Amino acid sequence: MFRQKKDKVPVSTRSLGKRIYYYRGFYLMFLPVLIFALIFYYAPMLGIRLSFYDYKGIKDPVFTGLKNFEKMFSMKGFWAAFKNTLEISIIKLLINTGAAVVISLLLNELIFLRFKKIAQTIIYLPHFMSWVVTASVFTLILSPTQEGLVNAFLTTLGFVEKGNEIYFLGLRNLWRPAYYVINIWKETGWGTIIFMATLSGINPELYEAASIDGADRWQRMKFITIPALMNTIITVLILNLAKVMNLFESVFVLQNHAVVRQSDVLATYIYTQTFNSGALPNYGYTTAVGLVRSLVGCALVLICNHISKRIRGRGIV
Amino acid sequence: MKSKKANMEMEQQIIYPKKKRKIKVFDVILILFFILFSFLILIPLWKVLVDSFDLHTAYGMKLVPKNFGIEGYRNVFTNPTLYRPLIISVVTTIAGTLLGLTLSTLGAYVLIQREMPGRSFFGNMLLFTMIFQGGMIPTYLVINSLGLTNTLWSVILMPGLNVYNLVLMRNFFEGIPHSLFESAEIDGCSPMGIFFKIVLPLSKAALAAIGLMFAVSYWNDYTNYKLYITDSLWYNFQMKLRSIIMGSDLPIPNGGATENTIKNAAIMVAILPFMFIYPFCQKYFVKGVNIGAVKE
Repeated sequence: MFRQKKDKVPVSTRSLGKRIYYYRGFYLMFLPVLIFALIFYYAPMLGIRLSFYDYKGIKDPVFTGLKNFEKMFSMKGFWAAFKNTLEISIIKLLINTGAAVVISLLLNELIFLRFKKIAQTIIYLPHFMSWVVTASVFTLILSPTQEGLVNAFLTTLGFVEKGNEIYFLGLRNLWRPAYYVINIWKETGWGTIIFMATLSGINPELYEAASIDGADRWQRMKFITIPALMNTIITVLILNLAKVMNLFESVFVLQNHAVVRQSDVLATYIYTQTFNSGALPNYGYTTAVGLVRSLVGCALVLICNHISKRIRGRGIV
Repeated sequence: MKSKKANMEMEQQIIYPKKKRKIKVFDVILILFFILFSFLILIPLWKVLVDSFDLHTAYGMKLVPKNFGIEGYRNVFTNPTLYRPLIISVVTTIAGTLLGLTLSTLGAYVLIQREMPGRSFFGNMLLFTMIFQGGMIPTYLVINSLGLTNTLWSVILMPGLNVYNLVLMRNFFEGIPHSLFESAEIDGCSPMGIFFKIVLPLSKAALAAIGLMFAVSYWNDYTNYKLYITDSLWYNFQMKLRSIIMGSDLPIPNGGATENTIKNAAIMVAILPFMFIYPFCQKYFVKGVNIGAVKE
């Protein structure tokens, strides 16, 4: 994604002072970006010190050492959220990438161009819907009454009895499958774009040569298309693995009280502990949880960067 | 240049099999599969569309409106508690997109100045924010202490600097031949002049792609509002929609519309702007993904 062009930097003949004077206008141009970065990214980093304090927003913060962390590590809710974040993110990533690869391979086999374009347009569509809209749509069609489309459909088929409808988003063992299905609905199509770009870059002569050698459709896919996709698949997995800890909005809008244990992730835990706990928010404690989340996220990025350098020869940051 | 070549390759590849292949059973199965798949993608949206036009309450399996009427939409557009959030969404989306584009183009332009002292420091400073963040609560406390909570400034300014988009823009700018800058400089063009007369006109596609990405994220923003806006006076449409669907804030239906009609009409209104522009801008959206991912 980002490549440092260290090898290409030309050796300048001008002195540092002259160069700074020459580029004075550029420093001015960068100033707004700098101010935004300092206020919205670096100032909050200073706020991390609150994780060692007791702070409820009224009195001044009181230094308490590692007390917040001790409390956190003894909380069941924290560990459940920690485990859920990793589990939900990683399973979601694998399912979505797998589905996107399969759909891309199938799209690539479509021979009617017109039809292919229309299909692509349709399957990209849900990506533009916000999570609020997605949650709203699915809350309505998964509603546990005869008014919900899915329950009404299952009733007609005879799988569900009237008055005994399934509450997909409110049952402990069904929430996660429902969440994954909703994610497939929303993001599979969009995920195919990057694979389709790789597929369109494959030299058609390879297919021609293979056909002349008598390779059938399946063999061409197995020996040309899939190997060509492998690099992109690994790239997508690495890039997204680094974002595992970011999971928030999609879970937040789909979860409810009945399934907190199964659905709570670190970000939603931080949010509810701070703003919805009913008591005064304990900013120190939730900052500490946030710090753990950021550190794990940071470690994941660095690990992924390392793997990426090994496999692709360039890092992700 | 490169993209043109790629396009040509793509065309070749697509046209090529057309001549040779005959339609086989597999092709028919594939087409049936995609019809089914598209159908599954569309059905939840179709259901919302149908219910938004239906003045009847009992819904369930029905896929055409029983009692057609546009009262749901009339409710959304005439009820001040509903159209005010809509206006707020429009205003913040326009302002935020302009701000986002300004910051990403300025930052990206500075980051391609290879000889500028401090360039790599600035670059690393921005990249570091992608690796490590202060987190939700410290950011909230900063915004709160600046007095931005419960003002639209928080939701416009906060997402304005998007380092990922800035880097995409930089990747795109790096594709502009350096000799163009040099010759403009020799002709006496100032850095600002080069920015406006050369860089921006050559980057229309990237501006469209990244501008659309900003527009979508501002229009769809929920997280920032949830964190920084507690006063329902400043809710955007997503926030309003959420509270309608959760049933805490349902407007009183009038003119024959039911609660369900209004809920579905509100969902449609939240989707509509991008449904309208999406078919025309699809290539820019796709381009936005591809400048980031398959570059080089």
